[in-house]
Amino acid sequence: MVPEFLKDVSLFQDLDQLALAQLATLLVSKKISAGAVIFRESDDSDALYVVETGQIIISKHVQGEVDIVLTRFHRGDFFGEMGLFDAAPRSATAHAETDSILWRLDRKAFRQILSDYPEMAARICYRLVIVFIERMRATNEQAREAIRWGLEATGYSPKADRPLFGRKST
Amino acid sequence: MPDPAKLELLTRTADDEGFHLVEIDSNYVYWSFKPQRLPQTEWELTAQPFGADGARNYVLKSLRQERYLLLDSKEFFLWECFDGRHSLEEIARAFHISNGAFDYSLIRQLLTKLYGCGLIETNNITDLQPSLAGAQPYLWTRHLTSGLRTLRRISFKIPDADRLCSIIYRRGGFLLFHPIAFWLSVTIAVVAFVLAVRLAPHAGNFASHLKAQPFLITGAMLVTLLLVSMLHVLFHALACKAYGRRVREMGFFLLQGVLPTWYADVTDIFMASRRARIMVDLAGPMVEVVLGSFAIVGAHGASAGFGQALLFGIGVMLWESALINLYPFNFLEMDGYNILADLLAVPMLRQQALALIPNLAQRLRSVKTVERAEWLQLGYLALCLVSVLLYVIAHLDAVGSLLHFSQ
Repeated sequence: MVPEFLKDVSLFQDLDQLALAQLATLLVSKKISAGAVIFRESDDSDALYVVETGQIIISKHVQGEVDIVLTRFHRGDFFGEMGLFDAAPRSATAHAETDSILWRLDRKAFRQILSDYPEMAARICYRLVIVFIERMRATNEQAREAIRWGLEATGYSPKADRPLFGRKST
Repeated sequence: MPDPAKLELLTRTADDEGFHLVEIDSNYVYWSFKPQRLPQTEWELTAQPFGADGARNYVLKSLRQERYLLLDSKEFFLWECFDGRHSLEEIARAFHISNGAFDYSLIRQLLTKLYGCGLIETNNITDLQPSLAGAQPYLWTRHLTSGLRTLRRISFKIPDADRLCSIIYRRGGFLLFHPIAFWLSVTIAVVAFVLAVRLAPHAGNFASHLKAQPFLITGAMLVTLLLVSMLHVLFHALACKAYGRRVREMGFFLLQGVLPTWYADVTDIFMASRRARIMVDLAGPMVEVVLGSFAIVGAHGASAGFGQALLFGIGVMLWESALINLYPFNFLEMDGYNILADLLAVPMLRQQALALIPNLAQRLRSVKTVERAEWLQLGYLALCLVSVLLYVIAHLDAVGSLLHFSQ
């Protein structure tokens, strides 16, 4: 049986009913309370999460006890996908902003898809690439916004080569 | 103007499981920002005399970048407050209490100028570069931009001009600024004037000699003007050295973007007295006066003929050039204008007067509210307009002659 919400997940939108049913057997459901941490920055990464309900905040540590909020994920979104491909530590922290239900796809299960269902894996990877690109664009935008914030906060407004004051005797 | 940028932060405490979200608006932080000017070893500030408009200006020099800022009294107040201990909100409040309401955009404008001169501490924002995002997409605008850039390339700077001027000054240039040199110049000018009056009845003969060789005379005049204008600028620079100030640049550029001319950037003289500035302004035209005088004396001693006519013509041309240079009301920032601006202690008179033009009709409709500074600007504009018109009318016959000659 295929959970209804899987059809709304962008990552799986190219999969047919049969593939979704095969995938569903590899996903593990998890309930998370509001405020709980799903994973922390620097934790070992080994799974991807798909949001069925609730709202997840992704944040990155800045200094002291302060993180910068990078993004929010809602129903149908997924996060933690980097953990499927490399074993590097988590690059950000995921908190549940509200009570949420997540579905977890761990690296072992993903490898099984790659080996047993290559066509399904190709469709998922294609979607992953599209989402990576979108997120990279969003990251650029975020970097721009952060720099704009810094400039505005310090009143910095460079006007290169603008004449200031001077006397050229002729 | 876009909305201020916002940062969303997530905070948590060690003993608390949950977290708090805070959105911080850049505007909010801006008012808490405590601008800090560089240490005093990095800049030099000179109070200018009280101007004819009753205001006082200050010239602030960035020693690191060798750039200058003209601060009015409001900006000076703010500059004094930029000590790194007071936030912009506190500074604005202090200004409000001591001076009454003021335009808050002044703070942003001043910060922009100070950042431009590197006079405010910045925290490694050097990776920023001019944006290409708004680059001109059309071919014709690109051609226009590149054309203007080519035009600007006509300008050039003499490398290490200050060192060059220092050497010339030390190796004899200082003699030119000795009082004896000044009185000798005045004497030769007076003598030459008397001789010119005596030669004046022969002006008709001189003119016929010169008309006989139009290309030779034009070439001679142009070469003389070119050489004398180089000397003129060098004298400005040497006068600046005489007061111990730096010559920032020397070179060749298009004055107001059109008139090709030599120049010496003597902005550093603003760090000295008003007298020093006026002496620097006068040093240039003195070259034309003295060389013109020598030419007239030479003409008086020469035997009648083309040589005498040429010397007389050159003498008169150099005197006229000195007069034009010293006349302040021609919309150009020539020496006469600089002297006027220095005497009035209104260094931006021309720019302020030109900025007044778009609102002129509106300001004149309510004459009673026109301020003293604006009356000065109006006076400057009116005299410039009348002078230029008179100059054009007086030279209409010359234009006619030129047209006739070309036919």
